[in-house]
Amino acid sequence: MGSTSAQTNEGLGRRDLIKRSAAIGLISVPTMGFLSACASSDSGGNGKVEKGTKSDKNPLGVNESAPLDFVLFDGGFGQQYAKDAIKVYETNYPKATVKFTPTQKITTTLQPRFNGGTPPDLIDNSGAEQMDMGVLVGQKQLADLTPLLDAPSIDDPSKKVRDTLRPGIVEMGQFDGEQCWILNYAYTVYGVWYSQKLLDSLDAKYPETWDEMLAVCEKAKKKGIAAWTYAGKHPYYVPFSLYPMIGKVGGREVLDAIDNLEPKAWEHPAVKACFEAYYELVQKGYILKGTPGLDHIQSQTAWTEGKALFIPNGSWVENEAAKTMPADFGLAVSGPTGLDASDKMPFGTIWAAGGEPFIVPAKAKNAEGGMEQLRIMLSEASSKNFTQSVKSLTALNGGTDGIELSPGLKSGVAALEKAGQNVVNPRLQDWYVALQKEKIGVAGIGEMMAGRATPAETIKKIQKFADEAAKDSSIKHYKH
Amino acid sequence: MKTTDTTPAGVENPGSPAGPGPVITKTKAPAPRKEPKGEGATLNVFSHGILILWAIMVVMPLLWAVMTSFKTDRAIFTSPWSLPDRLHFENWSRAWTEAHMSDYFLNTLLVVGCSLIGTLLFGSMAAYVLARFEFPGNRFIYFLFIGGMSFPIILALVPLFYVMQNMALLNTLHGLILVYIAYSLPFTVFFLTAFFRTLPTSVAEAAFVDGASHTRTFFQVMLPMAKPGLISVGIFNFLGQWNQYLLPTVLNTEPERKVLSQGLVQLAVSQGYKGDWSGLFAGLVMAMLPVLAAYVIFQRQVVAGLTAGAVK
Amino acid sequence: MQHGKYRFIVGFLAAPLALYALFVIWPFIQSIYYSFTDWTGLSPEFGMIGFGNYSRMLDDEIFWKSLQHSLTFAVVLPLVTVGLALFFAFMLNVGGRRRKGAAVAGVRGSSFYKIVYFFPQVLSIAIVALLFQFAYNPNSGAINSVLKGVGLGSVQPDWLGDPDLALICVMVVLVWSTVGFFVVLFSAGMASIPRDFYEAALLDGANRFTTFFRITLPLLWDTVQSGWIYMGILALGAESFAVVQIMTVGPSGGGPDYSTIVLPLYVYQKAFRDGQAAYATTIGVALLLVTLAFAAVVMKLGRRERLEF
Repeated sequence: MGSTSAQTNEGLGRRDLIKRSAAIGLISVPTMGFLSACASSDSGGNGKVEKGTKSDKNPLGVNESAPLDFVLFDGGFGQQYAKDAIKVYETNYPKATVKFTPTQKITTTLQPRFNGGTPPDLIDNSGAEQMDMGVLVGQKQLADLTPLLDAPSIDDPSKKVRDTLRPGIVEMGQFDGEQCWILNYAYTVYGVWYSQKLLDSLDAKYPETWDEMLAVCEKAKKKGIAAWTYAGKHPYYVPFSLYPMIGKVGGREVLDAIDNLEPKAWEHPAVKACFEAYYELVQKGYILKGTPGLDHIQSQTAWTEGKALFIPNGSWVENEAAKTMPADFGLAVSGPTGLDASDKMPFGTIWAAGGEPFIVPAKAKNAEGGMEQLRIMLSEASSKNFTQSVKSLTALNGGTDGIELSPGLKSGVAALEKAGQNVVNPRLQDWYVALQKEKIGVAGIGEMMAGRATPAETIKKIQKFADEAAKDSSIKHYKH
Repeated sequence: MKTTDTTPAGVENPGSPAGPGPVITKTKAPAPRKEPKGEGATLNVFSHGILILWAIMVVMPLLWAVMTSFKTDRAIFTSPWSLPDRLHFENWSRAWTEAHMSDYFLNTLLVVGCSLIGTLLFGSMAAYVLARFEFPGNRFIYFLFIGGMSFPIILALVPLFYVMQNMALLNTLHGLILVYIAYSLPFTVFFLTAFFRTLPTSVAEAAFVDGASHTRTFFQVMLPMAKPGLISVGIFNFLGQWNQYLLPTVLNTEPERKVLSQGLVQLAVSQGYKGDWSGLFAGLVMAMLPVLAAYVIFQRQVVAGLTAGAVK
Repeated sequence: MQHGKYRFIVGFLAAPLALYALFVIWPFIQSIYYSFTDWTGLSPEFGMIGFGNYSRMLDDEIFWKSLQHSLTFAVVLPLVTVGLALFFAFMLNVGGRRRKGAAVAGVRGSSFYKIVYFFPQVLSIAIVALLFQFAYNPNSGAINSVLKGVGLGSVQPDWLGDPDLALICVMVVLVWSTVGFFVVLFSAGMASIPRDFYEAALLDGANRFTTFFRITLPLLWDTVQSGWIYMGILALGAESFAVVQIMTVGPSGGGPDYSTIVLPLYVYQKAFRDGQAAYATTIGVALLLVTLAFAAVVMKLGRRERLEF
C-alpha cells in the first residue's frame, strides 16, 4: 500500500504545476492511512490526556483540566438536556471546557474524525445517519463502558451505576462478551398508541383479543373513522406492535429465533397468524385511505386529528406530535392485542427498550471525561430534567418520583407496570438495520400493509431476506 | 407536421405536479392578454395558454411556501390549503434567531461572492484555452474537467477532508472558497467552452494581428464578448454555491463560520424530529427571497448582455 | 509565436488545473483506490481485497435495480426537460406576434415568464423535495385535493406509496425544478442568433415551426447538446439523489420495494448507513462509468459541423 501511494505521487509530481502543493498536502494522506494501519497495535495511545487522580468525587479519575469533546445528535430530544448536563460537568470540573457540537449529520461529521483517529470523547450516535454499531464494535473503535458501570452512582455512592439502570440496558450495550459498548440513555415504550377520548366516544375499551379488535374497528368504521394508520413511508413502524404481538402469541423463543436469523424462523405458525390478522385489517378496509403514501409526521397528524384510532409507534410520539395534538386528546399506549386465550404470553406484554445510544470512542483523548459526563446524565436530577422536558423515560430505573408526568408518559409507565416481567425486546433493528428497515419493513411488511402482497408471499419474501443476511459475510452476526 | 415533435412535450406535463390549487392563483395574474389578431392568432392563444399554465404551476408551490410560513404547525397539517388565521411572524423570528440566519447570511455572502469571482476567472481562462487552441492533451484536459461533473461528491469527502486538514484549510472560509471554486470548475469549463466556440473567430484574429498578446486579446476582446455566457454561468454557479451543503457540512463545522444552507438543512432535518414546519418554511422563504431578488436584478443584466452580444 | 502560444496555454491552465487536481481529482483517485479495499469508513484500518467488491456488485440485485432506474432517468429526463425547455424558449423569444416591423418577437411578457420560470432554481433541491411531499400526500395533499375538487374523488392514488407511480412522481419533480434553468440557457442562445436569419426565412414564407427546425435548432445545437448532457448528469447524480432520499418511502428513500432506488442513493446508503464505504466507492465507480458513457454517447450522436456566422 505504501509503495502504491508513493508511485502515485511520483506520477503526479512530474506534472510540475502541482508539484509544490502535492508535496505539502497530499503525500501525507495515504501514508497516514498506512501508518495508522500498521500502528494499530500501538494501542492508539498517542494524544490521550493524562488521567487525573481518583477520588470519591472523581471515581473515574477524570483529568480535571482536560477539555471534553461532545457530539450530540440533535433530533427529537433536542439539545437542551445535554447542555444542562454539560453545565453540571463544568461546575464539577471548573478548569475543563466542554466543546459541544449538536448535529443531525452524525456520519458525515464524524466519519473523517474516526478515520483520522481523532474522534470526540462522547457521541450520541442516533438519527438517520447513525453510524453502524456492529461495524464500530467489530473494528474496535469503541471504548468499553465497564468502568462507568462499576463507578458509584451520583445519587447513592453505595450503589454502582449498573445497578441503577433499567433491566435490559446493559445487555443492549453488549454484542458478544461481557464488555458494554453502548449506553442507551432514553427508554422507549413501543406499542399501539391511541386517544382515550376517541376510544371512549366509541363506547369501547382497548381490545384484548383479535375478535374484540375487529369489533372496535367495525365500530370506528361505522362512525367514519379509520381504525388504523401507520407511517406508510416508513412501514418499519408496524413492527412496534406486530413483533410484540408475535411474542405474545408464540412466546419469546419465536422472536429470539427471528433475531438469530434461524432458518424457517419466519415460518412459525405464530408469525403466520399475526401477519394474517394484520392483513385482515387491510382487507376489511380498516386502514386509513392513503396511508401507504404518508410519512411518520403525516400519519401522526391524521391520527391526532382523529381520522384514525390506532397507530403503532414509540413513546417519542408524544413529543413529536405535540404540535398537532389537542389538549384533551388523552394519549395512551397499550401492549398489542393478542389473538385469543391460547396465546403464550398474557395481555400486557409490551416491547420496551433503550434508545438514543451514547458511545465513547476507543481513541477518544478524554474517555474518562466522556464517561463522567454520562455518569452525570444518569443522575436522578439530570434524568428528571430529561423526562420532564422531552417526555421520555431514561435508562435510570425509577427517576420519575415527584415530577408530574404527561399523559402519554403516565400511560407508558402504567403499561410497563402491567407488563412486569413480560417485556420483550426484539433486536433486529439494532443488529441488522438494513434488513429490518429496508427489507423486512419496506419491501416486506410495507407491501403487505398496502395490500399488494399476501401474508404467505410476504413471509416467503422475508424469510429469503433473512436467509441472505445470515449468509452475507459482509455483515457481522449476533446471537441471543 | 413537425409540430408533433415539440408541442406534445409541452402539453404532456402540466397535468401532473403541484396541481394548481384554487387558493392564490389570482394574486399573480400574468401580463394582460391582448386581443390576438391576424395570422397565428390561435397559435398565440395556445402558446400563451401553455406558458401561463406552467407559470402557475411554478409559482403556486412557492406562494404556498410563503403562505405556510405564516401559519401554525397545526394549521399546516390540518388545513394546508387555507389562508393563515393571522400572520404568525413569530415563525420568522424563531427561524431568524434559532437558525442564526443573520450570521450565516454574512458568511454565505462572503464565501459565495469570492468563489464566484474565482470560478468565473479560472473557468473562463481554462475554457478559452480549451475552446480556441489546439495542443496535445487538449481533449484529455477537457474531459478531465467534464468528468468531474459526473462523480458523486460524497465519495470524495473523506480524502478531501485530509487534503484540507494537511493544508490547514479546514474550518476556514478561504479554504471553503477554494473548494467551491474547484467543484464549480467542471460545469463552468463545460459551459464556457461551448460558449467560446460559438463566438466568431474573426475578432480575436484581428486583435491578434494588430499586435495584442494572447493575454490581452483574452481580457480586452474575448472576455467582454463572452459577457452573456459569463453572466449565465455566473448565475448557475451562484445558485449552486448558495445551495451547496454537503461540502460545508464536512469541511466547515465551526458554528460561527457556518453558511446559510447548513442552517437551512439543520432546520429541514430537525422538522422531522421536532415538527417545526412553520419555522422551516419561514427559514426557507428567508433564504429564498434574496436569491430571488438577485436573480430579478441580474435578469436585466442578462438581457442587456445578450443584446450587446446580438449587435456585434 | 508558437512558443508564445504554449506559454499562454500553460499560463492560463496552470491555476485552474492545479486547483482542480488538488481538490477534485486527487480525492477521487484516492476513493477509487478504496474500492479495492474492505474499508468500512468508520476506522482507519483496512486491507486490500482486489476485485472482491466488484464481483459482489455484479451479483447484487439491488445494484442492478438502481442501475436500471438511473438509466431510465438518464434517458427520459433530458428528453422531457430539454424538449419542454426548447418549446418554452422558442415561444418566449421567437413565438410572439410580429410587431412594428420586427421580423420576430417574443411573446408579450416574455421577460416576466423568464423570471417566473426560473423560480424553482433558486430553491435548493432539498427544499423542493420537501414542498412536493406536501403535494403528494395522499390524505390531504394538493393533488388529491384537486382531484377531489373536480369530482374525481374515486381517483386518489397513493403517489409515492405506489411502486408503479413513485418513480414517475420523482421524475416530475426533477422536471419541474430544472426546466427553468434550460429555458434561460436556451433563451441566451436564441437571442444571439442574428435576426436577419429569421427575416430571410420569413420572406421565403416559412412558418414558425419550419423556422424552429431549420434555423433555431441547428444554430442552437451546441447549447442543446450541452444542456442534454448536463441534464443527464444531474439525473444520474446529485439531484436525483436528494429528491429520492427525501421524498420516497423507506429509511433513507428508495422504496416502496426498491421501486425508486437510484445509484447515487445506493452509494450513500452503503457508505453512510451500512458502514461499507469501500463497497460504496465501487458502486460510485460504476456510476462514474455510466455517466461518462452517457456523455460520450450524446456527444457522438450529436456531432455536427461547427457553424460559424
